[in-house]
Amino acid sequence: MTSVAPAPYLTAGAPRSRLARARRQIGIIGAYFAQFLKMRMAYRADFLVDLAANLFAIGIQLATLSVLFSKVPSLRGWSFEQVLFIYGFSLLPLGLFNLISVNLYGFASHYIADGHLDRVLLRPVNPLAQVLCESFNISGLNEMILGCGIMIWAGLALGLRPVVLDMVLLLVLVPAAASIYTAVFLSLAAVSFWHEDRLGLAPPVYNVIRFARYPLTIYGYGVRLILTFVLPFAWVAYMPSLWYIGGAELRRWALATPLVALLVAALAYGVWRAGLRRYASTGS
Amino acid sequence: MNERIPTVAAVGAAAGGGPAAAVLAPWRRDRRGSLRLYLSFVRLAFLKFLAFRLRYYTGVVSYTIFVAGHAYLYRALFASRPEPLADVRIGGLELAEMITYVAIAWIGRSFTFNNIDRTLSHQIQQGEIAMQLIKPFHVQTVMMFEAAGEAAFRLLLFTLPIMVVVVPVFGIGGPPHSYLIGWTLLSFVLALVINSQLNFLIGCLAFYLKNIDGVIRAKHISLDFLSGVLIPFSFFPAWFQTVVAWLPFQGLTYVPVTIYLGKRLGADLYSAVLVQAAWAVGLFLVGRWLWARAVRAVTLQGG
Repeated sequence: MTSVAPAPYLTAGAPRSRLARARRQIGIIGAYFAQFLKMRMAYRADFLVDLAANLFAIGIQLATLSVLFSKVPSLRGWSFEQVLFIYGFSLLPLGLFNLISVNLYGFASHYIADGHLDRVLLRPVNPLAQVLCESFNISGLNEMILGCGIMIWAGLALGLRPVVLDMVLLLVLVPAAASIYTAVFLSLAAVSFWHEDRLGLAPPVYNVIRFARYPLTIYGYGVRLILTFVLPFAWVAYMPSLWYIGGAELRRWALATPLVALLVAALAYGVWRAGLRRYASTGS
Repeated sequence: MNERIPTVAAVGAAAGGGPAAAVLAPWRRDRRGSLRLYLSFVRLAFLKFLAFRLRYYTGVVSYTIFVAGHAYLYRALFASRPEPLADVRIGGLELAEMITYVAIAWIGRSFTFNNIDRTLSHQIQQGEIAMQLIKPFHVQTVMMFEAAGEAAFRLLLFTLPIMVVVVPVFGIGGPPHSYLIGWTLLSFVLALVINSQLNFLIGCLAFYLKNIDGVIRAKHISLDFLSGVLIPFSFFPAWFQTVVAWLPFQGLTYVPVTIYLGKRLGADLYSAVLVQAAWAVGLFLVGRWLWARAVRAVTLQGG
């Protein structure tokens, strides 16, 4: 704490080995992350307002669900508690995603139109890692906590008895689902390398997420196909939740989630790299 | 009143006999000049939005998905009732009316939506508002006319394309009486004014708060709920309906859509539109008042 000398990974000179380079990258990313964490903490009022908005959003969602279910005993065979479980689950990957990648929404405006990508590209760290770390947003945490609470409540109401495998699988499914979110919004952000527009494509797509919170079977085949293959939001909540609430027949679908995540992430990173190669600064 | 020749009052050289300083006497625009000035903002806003078309093409897709998603949700809801589908009434609506409700609600929202709050807070945070303040117009009025230009753009290049897709796909029928189309349009224009005024008020908060992103988020979340775009108020318990009847937000979606559905006729119709108009005027006056106070609190960042 008292030392003012720079940490060893920050000192100049290109390390030779691959391992050393990777360690250096990770070290720099860590320092980067800590710096932006401090920046975020400087705006405590923002954080509180954001927390309030989050609580509010979740409260409204719960109110919507309970109003709809006050009219019917079940929704196409899905009980209130099952739908609630899917909703609770959906908040975990969403919170994880919001923790690191909120900047992807503003990418077109902040990084391309305002030219901040120039600064990113001049630094010796993976540009994507920089963009993601710069957008660290701690309010994702409260979504995750609330999501856990809703899931536990719904799980108790459903009489679920989770075993160790279920818990371990949760640690795989949630990050996988979060990387699907990230991949979708990364590809949308990358589109702005070709088509410059301040708002970008993210806001309308973000609105589609709300339909991923209902059991996929309430939709017609067209919507099911879109949510499964085009905008793969079926995989961020419904499919992985099936492991817990889907019964013996449906639950194995959940296991495909990590594969879908890998595929979508690889595609998105490809689009991002292609976009980055054709980036020409605004020059301002 | 109609005189607009700026008279130049030459102030004679004071002590020292330096060059005569010219002072412009205060001058007035006449009504026509004002109108021309403000109308030019309608045109400019229209042209500005014309430059950003991609987001609207995708918006058409996403609004269609919105309508489709909610239509499926409500279809599932109606189908989950024990009685035969044709007999199901929820919140006083049958399934076909419910699908129409969803479609008209989102079609209307595509027209009334704008980002005045974000634009205004951006101008305040970036200090650009200083340039607006020294110009001879009222920022609130300018923003209203810009909202009109944006709405005209939205109507032609956003709302109409959405209608072209949504109306045939979901088989949306007309209102029970054809004269209700006119009333629905009037009601949506009032909804546009109410929405713009609300957004202006929210944007003014940026004079007091450094960052209003959270507030804007909370606004979007609560408006989707309190305007009735997600669920018709008639689904809710009576106490909730009483509360929202006293709020301006019902004028954004619930009032125009229930007019379209023919749920408000005669005196009910007139009073609903009148209440909307009263909110439009009331919110405008609150905006004038808040603006006058807020500009005194302005602290411009550097520059």
